[in-house]
Amino acid sequence: MNPAAARLLARASTLGADAAEVFLSSGTEFSVKVFNREIDSLVSAQSRGVGLRTLRDQRVGFAYTFDLGPQSLDALVDEALRNGRYNHADEANALPPVAVADPIPGLYAPDLDRVDPQRKIQFALDLERLATSTDPRVKRVSDVVYSDGSGHVELANSLGLDTTFDRTVAYASVDAIAEQDSEMQSGYAFTYGRDLDALQLDATAQEAAQRAAGLLGATRVPTAKVPVVLDPYAGAMILGLLTNSFSGDAVLKRRSLLAGKVGEAVASTMVSIVDDARLADGLSSRPFDGEGVPSRRNELVTAGVLQGFLHNTYTARRSGAASTGSAVRSYKSVPEVGVSNLILQPGSQSRAELLAPVRDGLYVAQLHGLHTVNTVSGEFSLGVTGHWIRGGELAQPVRELTIAGQLIDLLRKVVGLANDPRFTFAGGFCGSPTVLIEELSVAGA
Amino acid sequence: MLDPALVDAILERARRSGADLVELFVERKRNQSIAVEESRVERVNSGHDGGAGIRIIHGTVVAYVYTEDLSEAGLLKTADLAAAVGRRGGGVFSVAALTGTPKPARPVEISPDSVPTERKIELLREADEAARSTSGVIRQVSLGYGETVQDVLIATSEGIRHQDQRTRVRLMVQVVAGRDSEIQTAMEAPGAEVGFEFFQRRSPVESARIAADRAVKLLDARPMPAGTMPVVMGNEFGGVLFHEACGHGLEADFVSKGSTVYAGQLGQKVASEILTAVDDGSEPTRWGSGAVDDEGTPTRRTVLIDHGVLQSYLHDRRSAGKQGLPVTGNGRRQSYQHLPIPRMSNTFIAAGDATVEQILAATSRGLYARKLGGGQVDPVTGDFVFAVTEGYLIEGGRVASMVRGATLVGNGPKTLHKVDMIGQDLELAPGTCGKEGQSVPVSVGQPTLRISELTVGGTG
Repeated sequence: MNPAAARLLARASTLGADAAEVFLSSGTEFSVKVFNREIDSLVSAQSRGVGLRTLRDQRVGFAYTFDLGPQSLDALVDEALRNGRYNHADEANALPPVAVADPIPGLYAPDLDRVDPQRKIQFALDLERLATSTDPRVKRVSDVVYSDGSGHVELANSLGLDTTFDRTVAYASVDAIAEQDSEMQSGYAFTYGRDLDALQLDATAQEAAQRAAGLLGATRVPTAKVPVVLDPYAGAMILGLLTNSFSGDAVLKRRSLLAGKVGEAVASTMVSIVDDARLADGLSSRPFDGEGVPSRRNELVTAGVLQGFLHNTYTARRSGAASTGSAVRSYKSVPEVGVSNLILQPGSQSRAELLAPVRDGLYVAQLHGLHTVNTVSGEFSLGVTGHWIRGGELAQPVRELTIAGQLIDLLRKVVGLANDPRFTFAGGFCGSPTVLIEELSVAGA
Repeated sequence: MLDPALVDAILERARRSGADLVELFVERKRNQSIAVEESRVERVNSGHDGGAGIRIIHGTVVAYVYTEDLSEAGLLKTADLAAAVGRRGGGVFSVAALTGTPKPARPVEISPDSVPTERKIELLREADEAARSTSGVIRQVSLGYGETVQDVLIATSEGIRHQDQRTRVRLMVQVVAGRDSEIQTAMEAPGAEVGFEFFQRRSPVESARIAADRAVKLLDARPMPAGTMPVVMGNEFGGVLFHEACGHGLEADFVSKGSTVYAGQLGQKVASEILTAVDDGSEPTRWGSGAVDDEGTPTRRTVLIDHGVLQSYLHDRRSAGKQGLPVTGNGRRQSYQHLPIPRMSNTFIAAGDATVEQILAATSRGLYARKLGGGQVDPVTGDFVFAVTEGYLIEGGRVASMVRGATLVGNGPKTLHKVDMIGQDLELAPGTCGKEGQSVPVSVGQPTLRISELTVGGTG
């Protein structure tokens, strides 16, 4: 066991804790941003910290620190126990039984730390160069970033748990800017993997440039009720708005749109949603959760029917369910309930087949105002930049539109899913294919 | 915070690479948070954050290295790493000189550290009781209390040495009201860069009642009909629209990249001539205030737009140097883990001369957006969307029925030209602003004002 963890657990026990848990994390980070063919900034870092959770008389105490010196560690135990005195006693507070988690092959790419930083810098420079050389109207980018990180987690508790895992992630993104007359449009693309070699350079550059250039000449259109197609990034953003509703904690606090609906149809029969913490290339994958519970693939919605909620040990005990291995945390927080890799399962049609029957409709390329959505009532009204669909194909770009509705109602109106899933960060690592919605009210000029 | 001789040694070591400028940022932060849910203490947490970042500038290239190891050995090792990763870049080194004198320290009357946790819990319990006793339809009340005491040291190879202590306290109240299957929420979150005495001025009980009243009233609100109409925006948090849709476009890093419509517009008319906008990080006790920014530049009042004419952007030292303009004290960072970038501090539209009654009376039909929620904006185009969390229809120059689900949709720069009445009732409100993955405390603000025409989204 890590000596800092051993010291904390021993002192917690001496001072009267019934149980205690130590979460230590450390990692390295490298990130480079380029602009105008030069390095704009470069960050290299090593970070670490420790969080201590104590249980005494069914009360949880928590404190964290960056300082791993012996005096600081001893003071941390005192502080956690002191904080715990004020918290309400709850018999659901407990550590999970110790279980062995299977490792996830490929989660850690040992080569990442050995890659010459110059190659990473070159990747970012190439991404900018390629994004600005595919279309004459795309001459610059607003942001090009390459980032990677290598993280190490150690988790130990007074029940005898003593486990670790390592994970690497690498990703790059580009925001291309297309200009024509006095109009500017932006286009985003994102690529990710476990190390530099997994990233896609050409496709990412092209996608950003095409997305930006394709929106030039955007006009406003009149208000209408029409079919709406969400592109995969937009679909993932909408999926991200549902993360809270899948949380067992939100159910207990009566803030979930899905509370009390297990076994009921909450979406169209085409919709299946899973949260899979063991997804091979998922950026949120991990062999065990923030309390040491082995990770698994959780089916949340299957053919439209709600299967259950995500739980950590506490919410599971309060709800009469089992932990789903969904405790998420950093060393600065107690384990909360959260999604890992949340996936709206793709369908079998190509995007063109999905669009084909849409005579007149809206294709959503960008959503604006996502954090204005009330995830408790589910009501949303979002700004849209995208394209009008005419005769099954993308026609002129459109802007300053809003789509409005309610999230559950939206899920019920899904009438088509393509086979082109994409992932991005959206309140979790969320993946979605192109989604066809039967009809929404679109407010325009 | 650190022995001056050690500070000198770190800067010296890091500069061996021959950098044009080396800057050390050291931070120690203590925080406590308390959450009350279901009328009981859900969580008392506390933590200690600390670390140091070294920034190296060679020509136009910036390298940044940080660590949580504040021991002498750890800091010197980090300085060596900084010297190693610092790269000699092309371009001409240009960082604006630091000017100005920091205002004297803001007095903190009652350090939140010194207040017993029991007292903080008592305030939250009183607020919980106040919210619950407002109405029988209150289903949930969540309360949060947060305090931070942040100490920073900024030292550069030019010989600059600045220290600052920023104490912040904040209350959060969220109320959920429900009737049958209908649920509505409302939130209040006052805070200031000040000690615990803040709660004598802003009683948690009062904040709780305001949130509860609004949640209850929203149950009876009707869905907002969509359309284009005049919009009267409420004061205080209404300023978030200016912050998001225009303020970010005035941040000089976007200007340098030409990715804002305000690039090249200094001296041009960018807003209605009755509109003046200001950023002021030196105003005592405001949520986004400090004696110096996170590059050590003393904070100050900067007029951004004067009677419709663009006067200044918001700069950090690099952007000011690059554009040959003076610093404005807006180089801010979330923590030692981040590079400073141009950020707003307390940004607001200045007071005008109309009364709220006059503004409403002059509007025969429209939306009174009394309070806004969050919003989002495309910094390139300035296109925005904002949720209205407390809105009313205006009919015949009077406030009529309450509406829900309204959103404001438009383009920030165009909207500024459409501001045709500005009230006297300037107020500021705290918020957390995110940019490039960094969150910093800011204030937004404005008086009540009218936009002659705006697209309003809704479900009615």
